[in-house]
Amino acid sequence: MALIAAVLLWAGCGGEPANGPIEITFPVSALGAESQVVRRQLARFMGEHPGIRVLQRETPDAADQRHQLFVQWLNAGADDPDILSLDVIWTPEFAAAGWILPLDRFGPDTAEFFPTTISANRWRDSLYALPWFVDVGMLYWRTDLMRVAPRTFEELRRAAGRARRDQGIRHGLVWQGARYEGLVATFVEYLGGYGGRILDDGRVVVASKAGLGALTEMRDEIYASGTVPSAVLTWHEEETRLAFQNGEAAFMRNWPYAYGLMQDSAGSRVAGKYAVTAMPAAPQGAPTATLGGTQLAINRNSEHPEAAWSVIEYLTRPEQMLERAEVVGQFPTRLALYQGPELGEALSIPTADVRRVVESAVPRPVTPVYSQLSEILQIHLHRALTRQRTPAAALREAQAEMQQLLNRSGLGATGSRAAR
Amino acid sequence: MPPADPLHGRERQESRLARWLVLPAVGTIVLVALFPLSWTVWESLHLHDLRMPWLGRPFVGADNYIEALGNPRFWSALGHTVFFATVTVGLELMLGLGFALAMNRAFRGRGPVRAAILIPWAIPTVVAGLLWRFMFDGQGGIVNAVLVGIGVLDQARVWFIHPQSAWVPVILADVWKTTPFVALLILAGLQNIDASLYEAARIDGASAWRQFRHVTLPLLKPAILVALIFRTLDAFRVFDLIYALTGGGPGTSTEPIALYTFNTLFQTLRFGYGSALSVIVFAVTFALALAYIRLLGADLTGARR
Repeated sequence: MALIAAVLLWAGCGGEPANGPIEITFPVSALGAESQVVRRQLARFMGEHPGIRVLQRETPDAADQRHQLFVQWLNAGADDPDILSLDVIWTPEFAAAGWILPLDRFGPDTAEFFPTTISANRWRDSLYALPWFVDVGMLYWRTDLMRVAPRTFEELRRAAGRARRDQGIRHGLVWQGARYEGLVATFVEYLGGYGGRILDDGRVVVASKAGLGALTEMRDEIYASGTVPSAVLTWHEEETRLAFQNGEAAFMRNWPYAYGLMQDSAGSRVAGKYAVTAMPAAPQGAPTATLGGTQLAINRNSEHPEAAWSVIEYLTRPEQMLERAEVVGQFPTRLALYQGPELGEALSIPTADVRRVVESAVPRPVTPVYSQLSEILQIHLHRALTRQRTPAAALREAQAEMQQLLNRSGLGATGSRAAR
Repeated sequence: MPPADPLHGRERQESRLARWLVLPAVGTIVLVALFPLSWTVWESLHLHDLRMPWLGRPFVGADNYIEALGNPRFWSALGHTVFFATVTVGLELMLGLGFALAMNRAFRGRGPVRAAILIPWAIPTVVAGLLWRFMFDGQGGIVNAVLVGIGVLDQARVWFIHPQSAWVPVILADVWKTTPFVALLILAGLQNIDASLYEAARIDGASAWRQFRHVTLPLLKPAILVALIFRTLDAFRVFDLIYALTGGGPGTSTEPIALYTFNTLFQTLRFGYGSALSVIVFAVTFALALAYIRLLGADLTGARR
């Protein structure tokens, strides 16, 4: 109701109110507990700032659709919404396009945030968005099937084999393997686990020994050891969650959202029987969590950047982050919150576990053309995993195409060459 | 002999009026067809990448076309489209002909059967695509359950991760959905055939097969050609069915040209290159349509009489 009223108000007040409050438009999801938290927090904000009215604009939840909508608005030079909520992989793209404002002049307290979440939002030495909450890829494991979580891929394969053989669990491990962004998120974790990376200062280096090791590991888990069912090659987050929730898998790679959902014992067969930890790694790499999450940025054409900033500043305060953690189970981006007791009470996951995973977080390549690079990578990874190509050939082809794209974008060779 | 002049004048007047009367139609065509088309052509001659606005929007001549023609993904998408069009249209024509012949017989319940056969055609394509996706699902799909149940497969198959088997649901879904359309067109043709021709053939001692071969088929040709044109052009532009069913995967091994174009335009937001792809698709379909009309023009006009 409140939202409808807000939308009506927004539609009705197209003109410039001469002396009325400043209006700030803010994109929100239309559904669920998350939108209610945001609404509540914005209402409190307006209570404290009578001079600013925040109007909520409904935007699609699906990342692709939201991205497409933002790109169309910003390309057309629209001055609203004033505030944008960005997936972490979009910040450099929007920054390089000149669509969002550098935030340094507002003096954000960046030292209080996890350094990786800040560096993922930097472009050419300026901060363009403030991390609102953080998402990380984690290993969910069944505490009723084993006493300790595996730390290496080999340990995981063995534990999965035991669970399948001795306890009759259908699948060892499930991850997101359909041809979409989730596949790249999974791959980044295996790649980090083998000590590799996708991009090195404007050069694509994914076709490395580490890349080959990571992709071969993923493929062998399906076809050699049978740890991972081949069906994951059509699976997104929800299919993996359902399999794990029904007790069909010993391990699952997923984001934090699944943790709270599977605790509800009415629909979950594993309530109280799982824990999370960082993804495993090979001896030559380190446990790696793909960094996700949402950031807040200001539209460059906004007429009221100061007011917009005060909204962002308010929404990223510790107490708001704790409220989000409690209601929606989202991980805060502020370091200090992981030291106090409040987060432990708010989140259903033990704070120490969360912290360990968040500290192993690695951003996907921070480049304005990330989405295009990812699309190329998705296709070639999927070809290798569906055995249309060998891992080596797939990585070689992916690397060539990705490098070609970087060169065309003017961002190749040295990462700092692009015009702005 | 009546005076020629007044009539002539009236004819001229009428033709002037006619010109005015067709103007709205021509205007509409210009607005909704020619204008967007020329805009797309113009766009295709530029580098226009919404995700790389810093590159500007320079004129690049034929670069986008050259890139497309040198891109293996383009050629494989074209290959998939031709494969899909050939297989589905072939199957649909054969099955459609069979259904039409069956429905043309007088039997009890003919009305309900004719209505029932149209149901797949009435289901929105995306819904049909999802339906078939669920049926072929690797875990809980009914197809696997049945095939394992009767012993054709020894374990559930994940259809969508094999470059060949991913085509099975795609082709079945299209044939299931569009055969009724073909059947209906052919049925209309069948009902135009004069019954006395069969009588004459019977008197001459022609067998059922010879009647079909020498009476039915030649007289059905116009109807079959119309179905062929519609179906080929449709199949060539196939998008929604595959989008909902396989998304073009695994990898890109079921990606048709229209889906590749869509991804380029709306996922990657490369408007210049995507426009070039659109123009190529348009050119190919247009050429196909022209070829059909040229080759079969006589039969088509014959059909109208």
